[in-house]
Amino acid sequence: MEINAVLSMGVQGEEDSYAGKLHLIPPYLAFTSLDRKSVRFTLPLSTIRRVERLNARAGIYALSLSTWHGMKIIVQLTSLRPTADAFCSLLREALKVELQKGQMKAVKGFVRTCYSEVLVSTSSTAPDNEREDGSLINDAKEGSPPVEMEYHGGLGLRFKFPGDAKKLREASKVKLWTTYLRAHGRNLTLLRYPQCTRLVQVGLPNRLRGEMWETLSGSLYLRFANPGLYERLLEENKGRTSTSTEDIEKDLHRSLPEYAGYQSEDGINALRRVLQAYSFRNPEVGYCQAMNILAAAILIYMSEEQAFWLLEVLCDRLLPGYYSPSMHGTLLDQRVFESLVHRCLPIIHDHFQVVDVQLSVASLPWFLSLFINSMPMVFAFRIVDCFFCMGPKVLFQVGLAVLKINGEKLLQIQDDGGFLNLMREYFASLGESAHPNSSDPRARAITRFQELLLVSFREFAVITDDTILSERRKFRNEIIHSIESFSKRSAIRNLKSLGRFTKDQAGLIYDALYKAMCVVPPPPAVAPPASLFTTNDGNYDRPETRVGLRTFHVFLSEILTWARDDKVVINGFQQRVDREIAEHELIDRLFYFWDTSCNGALSLQDLVSGLEGVMFNDLMDNIEWFFNLHDKNKDGHLTKDEVLTLSESFLFIFRYEIGDAYLGAVSRFMTNAFEYGDALLPRQENGEPGESSPPHIASNQPYLNLATFRMVVLADEILEAFFETDLSASFRLEPVPDLELPTNNGFLGDLWSNIATADNKKFFNKLTDEVGKTIGRHQVIYRPSIGRFTKLEEPKARESLLSPAMKSGSAGADTDTLGTSKSSSSTLAVDAEAAQSSKAASAFSPLPMVKAANAALMERTPFAIDDAGDDSDSDLESDIPEDDDQVMDEVDAFLEAHDSGLTDADKELAKDLIDAEPVK
Amino acid sequence: MVDSETNLGNASKSVQVKLVLLGEAAVGKSSVVLRFVTNEFQSNKEPTIGAAFLTQKCRLEDRVLRYEIWDTAGQERFHSLAPMYYRNAQAAVVIYDVTKASSLDKAKSWVKELQRQAHPNIVIALVGNKIDLVRPLSLSLGFTPHPDSEEEADDATATPDGTTSGDAGPVCLRQVPREEAQAYAAETGLLFSETSAKTGEGIVEVFTAIAKKIPIEHIIASSRGSVGRFDVAGSRTVSQEGGVNLDEAAVKGTSSCSC
Ligand SMILES: Nc1nc2c(ncn2[C@@H]2O[C@H](COP(=O)(O)OP(=O)(O)O)[C@@H](O)[C@H]2O)c(=O)[nH]1
Ligand SMILES: [Mg+2]
Repeated sequence: MEINAVLSMGVQGEEDSYAGKLHLIPPYLAFTSLDRKSVRFTLPLSTIRRVERLNARAGIYALSLSTWHGMKIIVQLTSLRPTADAFCSLLREALKVELQKGQMKAVKGFVRTCYSEVLVSTSSTAPDNEREDGSLINDAKEGSPPVEMEYHGGLGLRFKFPGDAKKLREASKVKLWTTYLRAHGRNLTLLRYPQCTRLVQVGLPNRLRGEMWETLSGSLYLRFANPGLYERLLEENKGRTSTSTEDIEKDLHRSLPEYAGYQSEDGINALRRVLQAYSFRNPEVGYCQAMNILAAAILIYMSEEQAFWLLEVLCDRLLPGYYSPSMHGTLLDQRVFESLVHRCLPIIHDHFQVVDVQLSVASLPWFLSLFINSMPMVFAFRIVDCFFCMGPKVLFQVGLAVLKINGEKLLQIQDDGGFLNLMREYFASLGESAHPNSSDPRARAITRFQELLLVSFREFAVITDDTILSERRKFRNEIIHSIESFSKRSAIRNLKSLGRFTKDQAGLIYDALYKAMCVVPPPPAVAPPASLFTTNDGNYDRPETRVGLRTFHVFLSEILTWARDDKVVINGFQQRVDREIAEHELIDRLFYFWDTSCNGALSLQDLVSGLEGVMFNDLMDNIEWFFNLHDKNKDGHLTKDEVLTLSESFLFIFRYEIGDAYLGAVSRFMTNAFEYGDALLPRQENGEPGESSPPHIASNQPYLNLATFRMVVLADEILEAFFETDLSASFRLEPVPDLELPTNNGFLGDLWSNIATADNKKFFNKLTDEVGKTIGRHQVIYRPSIGRFTKLEEPKARESLLSPAMKSGSAGADTDTLGTSKSSSSTLAVDAEAAQSSKAASAFSPLPMVKAANAALMERTPFAIDDAGDDSDSDLESDIPEDDDQVMDEVDAFLEAHDSGLTDADKELAKDLIDAEPVK
Repeated sequence: MVDSETNLGNASKSVQVKLVLLGEAAVGKSSVVLRFVTNEFQSNKEPTIGAAFLTQKCRLEDRVLRYEIWDTAGQERFHSLAPMYYRNAQAAVVIYDVTKASSLDKAKSWVKELQRQAHPNIVIALVGNKIDLVRPLSLSLGFTPHPDSEEEADDATATPDGTTSGDAGPVCLRQVPREEAQAYAAETGLLFSETSAKTGEGIVEVFTAIAKKIPIEHIIASSRGSVGRFDVAGSRTVSQEGGVNLDEAAVKGTSSCSC
């Protein structure tokens, strides 16, 4: 729940009061000022020690909160009284739950792991076991262990921190932070006022850096909420190997190798554990090059456990999709960056176009490794500080500033190589004076790096989180489409055999499969659809993408007329075709028939080869194909049971044909097949002489061979026609209709919401049906799979080939309407029924929805409210992701209209509250 | 990050050739480039994010070529970024590891992609790297491809052999017969050679062969604004201290280049 509120500190004159919103998202209480950046906090409820209602002027509803660190915060609830009451009672309940969970006790132990506690408790700013740069001195007396070793820290404590402590002015930074943290809370209870951001912008002190990164990014809350998870994860997955762990090994020794910590086994082992733990936790992402750089960098400043949680926030939340197998987030942000350059630096953009230089050749690593690999570490870490404090927009701002500062030189470059060299030179010179020839010594003292930050945050302040969000939204489809077509091309290129298909036809098979995978995703071990095919070209390390039976049903329904139920619905408003996936033993049979390597799953190649085996067949090929499909043990004979199954297959295929012709044909087929089969059985010599009773046969006894089968089939005109052309023609490679490209936020979210949209459509259809029924114009016809007969004319069974006796089996057929023949309707209706019910279960299994809801929940993890959008849509669970953007837009518009903050009178009131007494 | 350009005088006197390295992860792309550019072999290097960019000048007869080398990241998921680096490339070196059969499949798939998507006149060289790991065995056995290389590997480790057991750990047997790769290269129209970035064997020859096959005149004619700048006489004056003299190398080399 959220409520309008005015926040003030409980100490007079400490900070201004700010209007904003208070959000209760158990187990957190969060506040964001109206401009969404000046002031905010996220307090775990367990850190709130006392809540009092204040006794103030009439009509004013205010609460005083005391936190674990002894701070007092006053929030005045400015919404209507009933809302405020409701909020308070919810807050009370939530606090009670936390108390019962024992979370209140956990706080004490947890804050001990935070360096900030040491910092504010020591009287002198630098404890005597620290060097100037913050690393530990533990050489001299081995007898005396370091005073406080409970807090978490990084490799820097042992291997020193990069950079010159004097130049970095560590001592004064530490002093400023100590003061800030004493007054505004720290770690779990940190209140972020404008000064916090300013302090971050001048660079975090080494010793505090790791903890501030986790606090600012919010990973601290994950570590707090999941004690011991990191260790457990490593323990449970001990000795496990995967593609990811192999890839990690390759990169361990090339991750910041120049840093002393990574020339030691301890450093390498820590790096290995953190990267592996992440890959175990999130196997879909696993490990991507560049994550090693990030992990190596943050491990200098934080413990493994801290680094693990920060990496999770980085990869899943701050840079979503950057490191996934398709790297769609990376591609998207590169596109966004290019568009921002186009908008903000049009001359440079135009020049790049003219000389055909690609921005990404330089900017890709900036984004993928947060500039850590591009510029000297001391500078890169300052950018990382800002990144965790202000969010991903920082990368864009700095990127634009780099280009702007180098503008003139960039207009001279002629190719990609020149661009890269220029950037390299520039980054190498960041420590130099920005104005070496200035007469003003103060101007001379400004380094190029300072100039870079200044330009980033001054001139590109226009780049906000919203800019990034809306640009991402704009290019999302383009990127998805290009990934998709790229994957498609390489998947088709890497097929071992196309058979007689053209590349275009193979493309259509791919499309149908892709669509099927969107509806029924393959098992979770496999990456999300768009990346599927890029991972399997001749690469033995990765399992080839294979789809299971479920997906296969959907796939086949796209291209095979009898693998679907096309219901033509006519009501007063529309005529439409409802396509449903047919379920039948025959389709499962096809699946296993094409699974030649017995994997229980089919690859694209299996599907292509399988289709190739039937789509180009002539009459004889098709008869043999159909025979083999039903000859389970491949001994060249059908058993009697298999003949029955085969007949059922016929009935299934012909289930919607108009008239009784097919039914008659199948019935004749059965009569003939059994007659011949029985006739060919070896006679039992000692049996009864009477031939009337059929001989007993074992279930696996060969019964009908191909030659006989062929003869029986050819005896019937309809079946002959079926095998001659209709069977092959019932496989149709056509452009997949309405493959809607995902349109919403989050890559996976797109796929799920696609389904949700299809659901909406269904709803509309249902509505019109209902209306149609009431006015009597509702009509449903199943579209025939073969459709040879559109009228009810009755082809005759072929005369003469078989004995007249057999013909008695063919029932004189009465005409019937609309393809529901009397005799077949009973058996077939059952099939259709079954198909429908199980189809409902398969196509709309709750799993995707649950996943989508989880994804949405993940999105709104209630920490570090960088964008209030995360909170403004707090009842996301029920929303489909598509709506988020709109909600966000509205909130944005509202916020902009109300950005003025507080009136003087409001401020006055807030001041009064600071001295108000609690209600007795 | 190496850039030998500074040793080499005026860049405008040379023909620029954009060359991209492709291949499965860990086949030795970066090592091959490093050997070519600095004549060193070291295993702890910068990681490749996207692609590393290096330049190297070469002399071939009376011409000076300036190779702009793009060494791409090998991890599979970077695949979709590769077109950014191979577009406009005049040459490509597709590397596989002779001790890993699957790396040749990956190489073939890169070749297919280049032939369809890259510049139509791109010169492609197929390179089997890490022959230092198989050399002693292939010599002594006269090379017979073994289907069960695992068993052989056990035997091989038993024999103490300084040259085979490098930092790569267990001794590997050749998994890709030279003949097989060579036949594939011939039929696909690729240059072919085998190399070792570790010993340096065959490395320069790869780039020599490419330099010879590249339609230099075509590049000069088509490259922007460089038509007037290229001056054959001038290029002779470039000092030989830096860069690689491909003529010399070609003479000294063991002629492992197939062309
Ligand atoms: N023995 C041997 N090892 C090599 C050779 N070339 C590369 N390596 C090793 O193979 C590993 C991967 O090399 P690298 O150049 O990073 O491969 P890349 O991923 O393709 O760039 C490193 O450990 C190298 O030391 C070679 O010719 N012989
Ligand atoms: Mg490399």
